[in-house]
Amino acid sequence: MKPPYTPRVQRSYVGAYRPRIDGIEKASGRAKYAGDLMLKCRVPGLLYAKVLRSPFPHARIRGLDVSQALQLRGVADVLTFEDPDVAGLKSTNAGWTDGVDTLSYERMMWRRFRDRRVLGSHARWVGDEVGAVVAAESEEIAEEALRLIKVDWELLPFVLDPVDAMAPGAPILHPELGDTNVLPEDTVGGADVFVDKGDIDQGLADADVVLHATTTYHNATQNSLDNWNCLIEWSRDHITVWSNSYEAHQTRMHISEMLDVPLNSVRVVSPYVGGQFGRGDTGDQPFFLFTALLAKRTGRPVWFRHSRRESFHDGRQHVCYEGTIAAKNDGTITALSFNSIGNVGAYADHSMFAIKFAPVEATEVAFAHIPNVRFEGRGVYTNKMPACMMRGVGNSQLNLILGRLVDGLGEELNIDPLDLACKNFGHEWEQLPNKSLVTVLRTGAARISWKEKRHSAGEGPTLDGVKRRGVGFSFHPGWHAEWQELRRGEVHVTMTVNADCSITLDAPTVETGTGSNTCNVLGCAEALSFLAIGSGDIHWISTVDTDASPQDCVQTDSSVSFLQSEVMAAASKEVKAKLLERIAPLLEAAPAELDIDAGFVYRRDAAGCRRSVKELLHEASLDPITVAVSRRPLGARTGIPFIATFAEVEVNTDTGQVQVLRLVVVNDCGTVMYASGAEAQQIGGQCIALGESLTEEIIYDERTGFPLNFNWIDYQIPTVADMPEIDPVLLEVWRGEGEYGACGIGEGTVTCTPRAVLNAIYNAIGVRIDSIPVKPETVLRALGKTI
Amino acid sequence: MSPSVTTQETVVRPPGLQLTINGQICRLDTGSSVAPTTTLASLLREHFALTGLKIPCDQGACGACTVIMDGKAVLSCMVLAVEAHGHEILTIEGLPSDDCIVKAFAEQSEPGYGTALQCGFCTPGFVMTARALLDRVPSPTVSEIKEALSGNICRCGCYAGIVQAVLHASEIMAKASAR
Repeated sequence: MKPPYTPRVQRSYVGAYRPRIDGIEKASGRAKYAGDLMLKCRVPGLLYAKVLRSPFPHARIRGLDVSQALQLRGVADVLTFEDPDVAGLKSTNAGWTDGVDTLSYERMMWRRFRDRRVLGSHARWVGDEVGAVVAAESEEIAEEALRLIKVDWELLPFVLDPVDAMAPGAPILHPELGDTNVLPEDTVGGADVFVDKGDIDQGLADADVVLHATTTYHNATQNSLDNWNCLIEWSRDHITVWSNSYEAHQTRMHISEMLDVPLNSVRVVSPYVGGQFGRGDTGDQPFFLFTALLAKRTGRPVWFRHSRRESFHDGRQHVCYEGTIAAKNDGTITALSFNSIGNVGAYADHSMFAIKFAPVEATEVAFAHIPNVRFEGRGVYTNKMPACMMRGVGNSQLNLILGRLVDGLGEELNIDPLDLACKNFGHEWEQLPNKSLVTVLRTGAARISWKEKRHSAGEGPTLDGVKRRGVGFSFHPGWHAEWQELRRGEVHVTMTVNADCSITLDAPTVETGTGSNTCNVLGCAEALSFLAIGSGDIHWISTVDTDASPQDCVQTDSSVSFLQSEVMAAASKEVKAKLLERIAPLLEAAPAELDIDAGFVYRRDAAGCRRSVKELLHEASLDPITVAVSRRPLGARTGIPFIATFAEVEVNTDTGQVQVLRLVVVNDCGTVMYASGAEAQQIGGQCIALGESLTEEIIYDERTGFPLNFNWIDYQIPTVADMPEIDPVLLEVWRGEGEYGACGIGEGTVTCTPRAVLNAIYNAIGVRIDSIPVKPETVLRALGKTI
Repeated sequence: MSPSVTTQETVVRPPGLQLTINGQICRLDTGSSVAPTTTLASLLREHFALTGLKIPCDQGACGACTVIMDGKAVLSCMVLAVEAHGHEILTIEGLPSDDCIVKAFAEQSEPGYGTALQCGFCTPGFVMTARALLDRVPSPTVSEIKEALSGNICRCGCYAGIVQAVLHASEIMAKASAR
């Protein structure tokens, strides 16, 4: 038995180690996902859509001949880019919002980058959806019809590398936006130099030591198992969409605004979703639109789904950072400067969030005590798969350089990098050292046996003649406290007390696996603890339906774990008041004379006996008591807690293989809402994090621009056999506003691991590797060995 | 391929398809919804609405479509429907409602290992792979569990919880048989 975390406040439900509320439903295979509802046997008249994808990295369609495709038996419709239904659609972006808020076309987050045509004629990467889409009686017929479409391609020169794409004479991907592939400055991301605090030159001049480094973060993808799909019916003037979109209300907004139908004529239904991890930004994907148009034209339900290959659709931004850190001999950092180039691929979508937005947030909460800070960054279009949101967006890439600079500076100054971190990093609202950071790092260090295992780089013992071991760490500020969620507007919860005292809880959020559903039930049981109900008495509604549910609280920023529970805590008084109003006449008392505790009603003046609420509710009118509440997140700027990963690795200097022996993942949560779920996030995040560190990378044929490994055989995701022992450590040091004062943690569990592994590799072999994934050949090259 | 389905028979007289699914004998006319290229995974989902198994990759790389055929865990996306002719198939829907592996996956929650599932999309595949393992090796070691489950992908990364769940299921089985 491993040790449990120590809660700051012992509560009845919140913070528990317990099973997920959906455990049995999911483990027994009974849980229904969108694709399970779309079987032909369940949906009469179902048609299947398949879209034409460019086989070239850069090309234009001069013309299409679809006559043969239309003649194929079983083909119901072919929609092309020349069709007025499509040609009349506005240019768009696949990430209108970062998910925190629901945004319209006019107010979309990256309105400077409306660079996508729905089913356009200009293909910008191998796999781009262009030209035509077919609806047919089966997927096989639809695929055959695509093969029968004669496409007159005009091949264009292409560019894959962002530095090449910035050079004069490079092929321009989006001539409609300007004569360069560099994304222009915009209102959200800002100018190329988007942070310029103090005077960097002065900071460098003041320093005793200046260190430069360069890091490269490669382009993993989310790889949710539940490939994206949607089933759309357009009956009379009403559009119904079943899908595994994780933002039901944003999907409704997207379809409404793009197809010019009222919001109340679009119904979006999202049942359980099989993993998300930021896939496809926030779901403003063109495929919803062409599938809807096919449904309108054919008058039949149409299903569009990605194959596994097509699910390699977007991923993390490939970003190269140059970083400079300057410090005095005592370890006081005087300057921190970064310059990044991000390969955004064919479309901008949310890439500038990663390249500019996330670093600005980190600067605010972690670099506040460093006098001179500068960030410069550029996003560059290339003919590769577009980049988008992915768990840890932007922070993962930033951490790879930040952790490198801190580790390197520690070595340069002969100061333990843990001490260096504590001496310099923290938010502006408190004095250094930051209590959260100190506790996170000290706890992590103890759990990995830092003092015993950390040695000078490359100076550790050699095992079996060729194996070298080392330890490393990296840290980062979290980014999901309540004050950072203000843009969400109102967070909604509806609690219904039924006549038998059971609870129906509508805390709308699309269940993607995060565990927030269990957090919600625990939060509800805690809020209604005066009723002495158990979590088993609460039914959480697992499907979001925009016709029936209030605005869904989107699974972004990992903050659904506490936002809805905060609302429930605030609403519990209203539930009690309504119950007393209902019950009081039966007791011939005024509601104010009564109170409820442990499931019993009693008179405040202690006269009369205690009566069970459940019994009384049965005697009163039997209609359910419903309390619908909403509340804006609290805005008090409470700072942010810290996170860290510590890694121990073993490097085989003969084969180049890196084996991660142990990871310690430390999160200060403010308040742990659901301990088993939080630890599952800490452990689970390492699948993506270790994959990105060691194996996951999309490989292109540089000659043709063709991606070579859009499958799970050549693109390797860690399995149970690849995972090391993981020690999840939950802390409650920092505290935010509200009843719980919690902070989202799930997204950030991936952030520090790649750098922790790289620092551990350096500690093991004494040679720096600053690019991920670290494949055996990378290690051998770094060691100067021939391959 | 089962000997009863030969090319000659298919040409001369479509023999139809007969297989046992979760204890029930199921017959299908060839050509109805079963093309020669139809996979067992697709047949089970589309024709029999057994949607517990999932088809994320359709190329034998993720294990989410795992079912048990004649006692062995197979990737049903790598088995043609016609190959299942005459065979016994067990899907997750065919497990008893109190199956100890299902229960162990659902209840996994002790400190230090997290839960055994998050989004749950891969879980039926893991459960069926584990079922076949425990049927063969009732008390596996951790490395035997890892070996048996190494063809399954859980992108939520609940691997530590999954191993614990299989260990717990094995303990429950041992206790039950001791009684």
